[in-house]
Amino acid sequence: MIYVNDLKKEFKKAIKEPGLKGSIKALFKPNNEIIKAVDGITFHVPKGEILGFIGPNGAGKSTVIKMLTGILTPTSGTCTINGYVPQKDRQKYVKEIGVVFGQRTQLWWDLALRETYSVLKEIYDVPDKEFKQRMAFLNEVLELDSFITSPVRTLSLGQRMRADIAASLLHNPKVLFLDEPTIGLDVVVKDNIRNAIQKINAEEGTTVILTTHDLSDIELLCNRIVMIDKGKKVFDGQINELKHEFGQMRDLQFELVDINNVAKLDYCEHFNATADDLQLSNEGVMVSVRFNSDVVSVEDMLSYTLSKVHVKDINLKDADIEEIIRRMYRQEVSIDEV
Amino acid sequence: MRRMLRLHRIFVAQYMKNLMEYKVDFLTGAISFLIGQVVQIAFLGIIFSQIPNLVGWEFNEILFIYGFSLLPKGLDHLLFDNLWSVGYFIVRKGDFDKYLTRPINSLFYVICEKFCVDAFGELFIGLVLIVYSVIALKLTITWYMIPLFIIAVVFATLIYTSIKIATSAISFWTKASGHITHMFYMTNDFSKYPTTIYNKFVRTFITYVVPFAFTAFYPASFFLTGENPLFCIGGTVLASVVLFVISVCIWNRGIKAYESAGS
Repeated sequence: MIYVNDLKKEFKKAIKEPGLKGSIKALFKPNNEIIKAVDGITFHVPKGEILGFIGPNGAGKSTVIKMLTGILTPTSGTCTINGYVPQKDRQKYVKEIGVVFGQRTQLWWDLALRETYSVLKEIYDVPDKEFKQRMAFLNEVLELDSFITSPVRTLSLGQRMRADIAASLLHNPKVLFLDEPTIGLDVVVKDNIRNAIQKINAEEGTTVILTTHDLSDIELLCNRIVMIDKGKKVFDGQINELKHEFGQMRDLQFELVDINNVAKLDYCEHFNATADDLQLSNEGVMVSVRFNSDVVSVEDMLSYTLSKVHVKDINLKDADIEEIIRRMYRQEVSIDEV
Repeated sequence: MRRMLRLHRIFVAQYMKNLMEYKVDFLTGAISFLIGQVVQIAFLGIIFSQIPNLVGWEFNEILFIYGFSLLPKGLDHLLFDNLWSVGYFIVRKGDFDKYLTRPINSLFYVICEKFCVDAFGELFIGLVLIVYSVIALKLTITWYMIPLFIIAVVFATLIYTSIKIATSAISFWTKASGHITHMFYMTNDFSKYPTTIYNKFVRTFITYVVPFAFTAFYPASFFLTGENPLFCIGGTVLASVVLFVISVCIWNRGIKAYESAGS
C-alpha cells in the first residue's frame, strides 16, 4: 500500500549572526548550511493499518508526512502510495488521500461549515447520493450537527478539528494522514476523535498514518509505531515489542498508614539500582515507585516494601508507553531495527 | 475545461459570500474605490488639458490608448489578483500546502480563490474612455476589428497574468517575492502612453523584456491607424503565449522547490 524507500530531504539554511548587522552581512555573504531533515527513511505500511509516527519536535515527522502527501519533493529516495508517486501524479493521487494538519485548518474561514463541505463535494466530484450518505455517516461519527451552520471562525478548537477530519474524509480516501489531530484538545474531544478514527478504519479499511505527541493516542489507536529522531528511523514495530525490547517499567503505588514511615524506604540502596531503573516519589501518604522489573523483580519489590512499612492499599501497573519513549529520547538509545 | 469553469463559478460564489459576510468592510471598500476612480479621472483631465498633443498623437488618441490599457489590467485584476498573495505571504507562511493537497491544478486553484470586484471600476472607466474617444475621433469600425479587439484584450490580459505568475513563483525559492512582482508590475505605467516618447532603452525594455507595450500601445495603435496588424496584434499574441509558457514552467519548477513551513 505505502512503500517508502530511503527517503531523504535536505534543506538549505542560511546561517546568520544575530541582530540586524548579522542579517545585512548574510545578505551580501550568504553562509548556507545543509540540514538533513529526513535522512534515509524506509518503511512499508499495509492496507488498513493505523500507523503512529512519533518522535521529538523537529525529528522530521512533518517533513515525511509532507513528502508522502506530495507537498514537498524529496531530495532523494522514493515513496509510492497506491501505486502513485505523489509528486508525479499529484492530482490523481490526492483524490485518494485525506489530509489534516492539526495546526492549520482547511475549512473556509468565514463561511458556515456546511459551505465548506459543498465546495469540497465539487472539488472532489462526489456524486449527490454518495455525498448525502457520507455526510450522514460523518455526522454520526463526529457529531457535527450542532455547529454545521456556524461560521468556521466561531467554532471551538475541538469542533474545528472534528470538522477538519470530516472534511478530509468526505471523498472516502484510501489513506488518511493526520498530523497531530489531537493537539490542544480536551479529553472528551480527544476521545471522540479517537473513536471516529477507529470506526472509520474498521468500517472502511482506511489506512491511517498519524503523528502525535500524545502518547495515549498511540496506545489506544495504533497497531504499529515508527519512531524517528534526527531524521532517522530509530524504531519500527508493535508497541508491546517496544515495551519488551526496552525493558519492563512498572509502577508500584501504595498508601501508607503512617506518613513518617517514608524515610524507612530506601530502595536505591537496598537494590543497588540507578535512578533510571528506580524512582521514588511521594505526595503525603501516597507513595509511587517506578522501577524496571528486569533489574528488580516484582516479588522482591513487594516483599521489601511490605517488610518496611504498613500499607493501607497497594496497586501495581505497567508503566505507560509515554515513560518508555521519554526514556528513549533521554538516553538516545536506539533499538536495532526490528 | 468545463469542470474548471464550474469550479471557478463556485469559488467566485464563495468569495462573494465571504465579502458579504463583512458588510461594513465591503461598503467602505466600495466607497473608497469609487472616490479613487473619480480622483483618477479628474487627474487625467488636468494632465491632458496641459498637453493637447503628444509626439504626433492627439488628445483623444491618447485617451483611447489609456482606455485600452485599463481593459487587460482590469481583467487581470478581476480574475487573477490572488497571485499577489502567493508572493507576499501564501508561500512564506506555508499556506501553499493546501493547494497541493487538492485534486485540481494548483495554479488554477490559487487563481480562482479570489475575485476582485474592485476591478469593475477599471473596466468601466476603460470602456467609457474607449467609447468616448472612438466617437470623438469618428473612427470607422470595420467588422473584423471586433474579434481582433477581443483577441488583443484577452492576450494582453495574459501578459499581465504571466508576469505575475512568473514573479510570484520566484517565492518558491526565495520565500517571498511580492516586491519583485510589484517592481515588474509597476512598469505597466509606461504602456499607457505611446512608446515613441521614451528613449531607446525603455522602449526596448517594455517591448522585448517585459512586454507591457503589447498590453496597450501596440494593439491600440493598430485600432487607431490600421497599420502594422502583424506586429501590433500578432506581437501581442506571440508575446503573451511565449511569456505564459515560460511562466508556467517557472511555476511548475517552483513547486518542486517549495519548502512549506514548520508546524
